Amino acid sequence: MRLGWIARMQFMREHRWTHAHLSDHLDGELSANATARVKEHARVCPDCHRVLATLRRTLAGLGQLGAEPAPAGVADTVIGRLRREE
Amino acid sequence: MIVNASLDTRLTRLPLHVKLDPVRRGGAETEAHLVERSQAGDRAAFEELIRRHADRLYAVLLRFLGDPDDAAEASQEAFLRAWRSVGGFQSRSQFFTWLCRIGLNEAKRLGAKRAARSSVTSIEDEAVPEAPDWSEAPHSRLDQGELREVLERAVRGLPVEYRAPVILRDVEGLTTKQAAAIMGIREAAFKSRLHRARLAVRQAVDEYVLEGE
Repeated sequence: MRLGWIARMQFMREHRWTHAHLSDHLDGELSANATARVKEHARVCPDCHRVLATLRRTLAGLGQLGAEPAPAGVADTVIGRLRREE
Repeated sequence: MIVNASLDTRLTRLPLHVKLDPVRRGGAETEAHLVERSQAGDRAAFEELIRRHADRLYAVLLRFLGDPDDAAEASQEAFLRAWRSVGGFQSRSQFFTWLCRIGLNEAKRLGAKRAARSSVTSIEDEAVPEAPDWSEAPHSRLDQGELREVLERAVRGLPVEYRAPVILRDVEGLTTKQAAAIMGIREAAFKSRLHRARLAVRQAVDEYVLEGE
C-alpha cells in the first residue's frame, strides 16, 4: 500500500520534470543523463509520450512555415521614405 | 592574344588588397563593410542593407502583427530608426538581429497604439487528454496544408510576449542566444517562454483535432 503510494509520487515527480523539459530535450540541450530521464518517462507515460510526439511534429511544422511572401517593393518604399526624410 | 597577355601581366601586378578585396565575396560587398560605411553616413550603403533585409524583416513583423499594412509600417519605422541610430550599432551582434529588435519594438508600439487585436492575454497550460496522437502522418486527421493553417492561427493567437519567441526561434530558425538578445531578456527566461508558447501551439492543434472528431 505504502510502496504503491511512493511509486505514484515518484511517477508524478518524473511526470512534472519531464513535462518541463520537453522543449530542451527536442532542442538537444539536455545532458545525456537528463535525456535518458525524459526518454524513460516518455516510454512509461502515455500522456508524455503523446505530448512529446505531437510537440515534435509541431516544431517540424513551425519550421516549415517559412517566410510569407513580401509584397513587391517593400525595400523600395523604405528607401523612398528614407530619401524624403533626409 | 597579346592584349590578353598584357592584361594578365597587369592583373598579377595588382596589389593584393585589390585582387582579394576582403569586403567583397562573390561580387557582393560584405555586410560588415556596408555597416561600417553606413556608420560613416553613407546612405547608399544603408540602402543596400535595406534591400538585403527588408523582405525578411517584413515577414517576421507580418507574422507578429498579422496585418500586411501594419507589418509594412513597422518595417519602415524600424529601418528609419535603424538609420538614425546605426552609429551606435556594435558589431558584436549581427545586423539583422539588431534590426529585428528595433522592428519588434516598433511592432509592439504599433500594437499598443491600435489596441491588441488578440483577445488572448495569457496561456493556459491544460492537458487535453482525450486528444488522439496526431504526430504520425498515416494516423493524422491533419494533412500538411491543414496543419500549416492551424499553426499560423495558433501563433497569431498567442499573447505578444509568447508569440515572438516562437516566431524567432522556431519559424525564423534563430538561435536561443540571438532570439533572447532580440527580445532583450535572459536566455533562461526566453527558454521558459518558448516552452510555454510551444505547448500552447501544440494544444491548439490538439483542440482542432478534437473539434473535427
